[in-house]
Amino acid sequence: MSAPVTITARVRIMVAMAALTSSLCAGYAASDTTSHGLASPESFANITDTEKRSAAIFTELGKVLTHPRCTNCHPAGDSPRQGDNPRLHQPPVTRGADGHGVEAMRCHTCHQKANFEPGRIPGHPEWHLAPREMAWEGKSVGEICEQIRDPARNGGRKVEDLIDHIGKDTLVGWAWKPGFGRSPVPGTQAQAGALVEAWVKTGAACPAP
Amino acid sequence: MRPSRREFVKLISAGGISVSLSHLAAAANAPFAAHETLPGRGHFNPAAKGAGRVDGVAKVTGAKLYASDFRAGDMPGWPQTTSHAILVRANDATHVYTGLDLARLDGALKPSVVVTAADLDRIGTQVPEFYAGDLFCPPGKTPLYLGQPVALLIFEKFDSFDQARLALRDGTFVKFGEETGPVIAADYGAYRFTRVAGSSPDKPDVYSPIQAGWVSPKKVQNAALPVWSPLAKEMPADYVKAAKLGDQIRAELATDDASLLVLDREFETQSVDPMFLEPECGLAWYSGKGGNLELVLGVQSPYEAAESLAHLLAKAHAPYKPSHINAQFAHLGGGFGGRDHTPFILYVALAAICFPGKPVRLAHDRYQQFQGGIKRHPIKMRSRIGIDRKTGLIKAFAADHVLDGGGLANFSANVAVVAATGAIGIYDIPKVDVTTVAMHSRGVTAGSMRGYGTLQTMTALEALIDEAASELQLDPIEFRRRNALKQNGRTMTGNPYIVSVRTPEILDHLEKHPIWQQRAQLRQTSGDRLVGTGVACVTKDYGSGADCSLGRVEFGADGKIAIFCDHVEMGNGIGTALANRVGFHLGAIADEVSVARVDSYDVLGLVTSGDPYTMDQKTQDAAARNSRWVPAISSATSASIGAHVGTHSASEAARIIFRFGLWPAALELWRIPKADPRAQQSALADWQNGQLTMPGLEPLPLARLAATAHARGFVTGAVAHSFSRWAWSRARFPLFGEQYLAEIDALAIRRGNNKFERINRSNVKFPPTDNNRIGTAYTSMCGTLVRVEIERATGALRIAKAYSVFECGTPLVPEVVMGQSHGGFAMGVGYALLETLPPFEGGPGNGEWNLGRYLIPRGSDLPLRDLEIEMLKPLIGNEAPKGMAEVVMIPIVPALINAIHDATGHRFRALPVTANLLKGVLA
Amino acid sequence: MTTLSLTINGRKHGPMDVRDDLSMNDFLREMLGMTGTKFGCGAAQCLSCAIIVDEPDGTSYTSPTCIAPAINFDGKSIRTVEGHAKEGQLSALQQAFIDHFAFQCGYCTAGFLNEGQVLLERLARAPVSREALEQTIADALDGHLCRCTGYIKYHEAVRDVILADSTRYLAAAK
Repeated sequence: MSAPVTITARVRIMVAMAALTSSLCAGYAASDTTSHGLASPESFANITDTEKRSAAIFTELGKVLTHPRCTNCHPAGDSPRQGDNPRLHQPPVTRGADGHGVEAMRCHTCHQKANFEPGRIPGHPEWHLAPREMAWEGKSVGEICEQIRDPARNGGRKVEDLIDHIGKDTLVGWAWKPGFGRSPVPGTQAQAGALVEAWVKTGAACPAP
Repeated sequence: MRPSRREFVKLISAGGISVSLSHLAAAANAPFAAHETLPGRGHFNPAAKGAGRVDGVAKVTGAKLYASDFRAGDMPGWPQTTSHAILVRANDATHVYTGLDLARLDGALKPSVVVTAADLDRIGTQVPEFYAGDLFCPPGKTPLYLGQPVALLIFEKFDSFDQARLALRDGTFVKFGEETGPVIAADYGAYRFTRVAGSSPDKPDVYSPIQAGWVSPKKVQNAALPVWSPLAKEMPADYVKAAKLGDQIRAELATDDASLLVLDREFETQSVDPMFLEPECGLAWYSGKGGNLELVLGVQSPYEAAESLAHLLAKAHAPYKPSHINAQFAHLGGGFGGRDHTPFILYVALAAICFPGKPVRLAHDRYQQFQGGIKRHPIKMRSRIGIDRKTGLIKAFAADHVLDGGGLANFSANVAVVAATGAIGIYDIPKVDVTTVAMHSRGVTAGSMRGYGTLQTMTALEALIDEAASELQLDPIEFRRRNALKQNGRTMTGNPYIVSVRTPEILDHLEKHPIWQQRAQLRQTSGDRLVGTGVACVTKDYGSGADCSLGRVEFGADGKIAIFCDHVEMGNGIGTALANRVGFHLGAIADEVSVARVDSYDVLGLVTSGDPYTMDQKTQDAAARNSRWVPAISSATSASIGAHVGTHSASEAARIIFRFGLWPAALELWRIPKADPRAQQSALADWQNGQLTMPGLEPLPLARLAATAHARGFVTGAVAHSFSRWAWSRARFPLFGEQYLAEIDALAIRRGNNKFERINRSNVKFPPTDNNRIGTAYTSMCGTLVRVEIERATGALRIAKAYSVFECGTPLVPEVVMGQSHGGFAMGVGYALLETLPPFEGGPGNGEWNLGRYLIPRGSDLPLRDLEIEMLKPLIGNEAPKGMAEVVMIPIVPALINAIHDATGHRFRALPVTANLLKGVLA
Repeated sequence: MTTLSLTINGRKHGPMDVRDDLSMNDFLREMLGMTGTKFGCGAAQCLSCAIIVDEPDGTSYTSPTCIAPAINFDGKSIRTVEGHAKEGQLSALQQAFIDHFAFQCGYCTAGFLNEGQVLLERLARAPVSREALEQTIADALDGHLCRCTGYIKYHEAVRDVILADSTRYLAAAK
């Protein structure tokens, strides 16, 4: 046999057949969450209104906070999600009393101290779910902003504490090196930390919800 | 030409390679594989007393049982070190494949051997017809399908293999060039089934496939779908006849007739993976230079596997051509059809041939299993049904099916046939016209899977029936009852079933059940939580129309029984079923059961020729004059034939052992002379607790009878072969002065401790070749009720209660039958609600699919405490066992669709119905 | 390479050098030939590869082996399917699996056996009420996938072992 020959008319029929099945494919669109980098705090200098600048800086940080690497474990309910097209975590785990899973299924039994590449599985010594009040899944950047500066919903932190939490915490840092098959959050952890710092220093204003 | 469900390649001797097949008996660390532990040893009928299955201890203690458990070091006489292979597959089928870029594998990671298409030409392999298509896509061609292999990489050491597979997993080293679009290839088969019944049930049909044969339209070049019109040029005359009648039926459905309710509906099903838990795996060692090729494999079709391997290498050049192939077969970690005729084994053999002297293991990981494993056919269906409004009787049914067969033909044509002939389910419909075609596509190859086409067509049908009942304002069960095919009624191909037809009884059970009785009372169509109830009832063929089995039964002087069978254990409990069926005749459970044995019947000296499905009567009659000839030697363990066929030969062998071994021994011990009328009354004897009893006589334990039979040279062992083409072959055998009639076509016996001797048959009657026009003659029925609760806000569906009722003749191992029906229900739930694979790009052929993304039911998806299964008692005391492993997974699927409609008012016409889709319609 | 020593089914293995990226599953199956622990998905989705890890405090948990490096088990004590029967005597749960025809193909059995055993031992330490039992069993086994059985007989087998020794596994009714 020689190289494949395609006949235009038949290709069209194939396309028509493919269209019929598109309903089945809808959930499997390729990932569009590739890393695009983060703008530096300085790049917002031209916004003269401090509050607006602060909000704009947070909006930039929002690229990180609304990324599946973050929202998957800051879920709306009691179960984490996984993957770049966030789907419910399998096996179906729940947060349990301490956010580390229930007795029959603890996070660390699968998620080891570090990513294990042959198993394509992420890991960190403190792998667990963010507390319920820190749920970000499905929220706008403005809503997350209000939430993140509210000590009742940010683990009792002052906004200043968030600079290190986001800029230096190693579990947060995992989101920039999540391992095979998962897109990292944009930029670097240091850049994200710089954005938080700039946001705090400009009054920690929030974009409109 | 009718496709054969199985294809035999008869080149075993022609190719100059001798072939032997055996069980893993030789494996040093595998005592259970050779002699399965029998928890019921010494007890009578363990199944009845719940003493477990014969492979039970092996399976709870982690014994080496499965092909994936064995390494070279486990195999006596093999070199001790195992090398490892990676089968590289194309993840693109619309661009020209240009080759591999293995630059990233340097140093220790470099493969010892890379096998590509060019090597196959050098070796001189030939692809078995069943697997026609390039084994490896050659550079310069567009892959025939997603997941088509392009190369084998072989690594001498495990560490190199383990690190190389990590380096290669992104697939980017498989290089592609120019875009061509997908390869277009001919369809795999197109058929039309048309039946017009006579004016009343006792009159002959006006037209039926069984009268006129099966018909196909002429292949038309350059048309994607077949041209079905009888008016098209050069159509074969037999096709024109059927098609004209078929078109007439369609015309009647299209006329504006107020007395007729006509529904015209489409339904679409998805691609799914059998998801057996043990990914495909094999181990092989070629000693090189024309020596032996040894293999360890796990397939549902061992005999076919060995033949295909012999064909693959029959014309190989030296030094690649082995003089002998020895294939050893292991237990399966699940099958569900997906390991019946799998091309995977060919690559296992090639890996060994290309790395002579070193045992090589080829094992899929789960990503690769999704990428390369056999799938279920997606089917697009359009169905039209016409019902007389006054009587509620179905007058006519017409349907068109298009199956996506994926990249290789495999069983596509057969699945299309079975799907079409199953399309009217349990109903008696006087006018039927169904067209079906299986298409090639660039998708992963589809083949055999539990339900085999009928799952798809009966789901569409039972959803349509539900809608029709609702349009007619008839109770859905009453509507089904009015139209159900009764015993002796004719199926779509024009033949009646030759087994019990118990649909009315099943419908009665469904109707009386509380789930159905409470459906109106518990229904909720408003509020946060919707509740609805659905029903469906189906019938599913078992057997493939040319099934056979081999069985050997023997007992020692101590009364210990051993059974050998060629069928395979894939979880279906065949070993336990064999033990019980033989136990019925010999009064005790076997001490040894060996399955997947294709090596224990040499004494029969069987030969075969021709295709049992397409052979004409004259050819069969001529062939049958050779007393060693049979239409087929060994079958795949598939099509739910385990109980009915797989155990048949062993059962017949045991019957002969009793009649000519144990019974004469009993007469001696009871001192009953031959002339005594009681000597002819063996039918009155009965086994009780391992002792043979006869009214008024001393009970005799098996051990005593066995010792006597051995001492006196009576029959102590028998080997039998049986063949069924919707009826068993029969023959007479001269035994001890009588012409003994049995439902077998080959026999050997052992007297005392002597060797087995072949008994020449006489008056053999093979089932007529016209039986090949039957769609199916064996069927079993199952009905299901389900109540669902759907959360409006999320679309989350919970199965609140379910009930399935089925019949299977005499169950051989009731616990296994119940277990299979639980498992079938679960698999049906997954198919209806969870499982789906995109057909092409983004689908499993990209090598990125695994569980988690592909959801199969887990415990929390199922009503574990609220599923009631009822197995009807056999209709008559000794009703033959019927295959049931497929039928039990079907009705839950349409029952769920119907229950969802009852709750939401929405009729889904595509699968699966996920929570997201439900949420969408409820928004 | 890292040096690994561990105890498997009461027997010490090592010290031996293993690659840092060698999975525990391959360590058991390829290096030790202990193939009772299965490989199903390689992604911690089916749990047919789960083994028991025994903690020094007397508690135990199951761990999938396909997604864990072998070196993480250094110094640990684990149990596999090969270790449940003692001197040819099946454990109560093994016997219950057989009696109930709990499995069919048997490929997921090792995982269910280990999970069920850990549950039994947990209940022996911290019994639950009869009312809470069904959910406790369901939660414990839910991570394990089986394609043959529909799970019912596995659950029945575990339940039966518990009910047969209810004073040990169940809290007294209030």
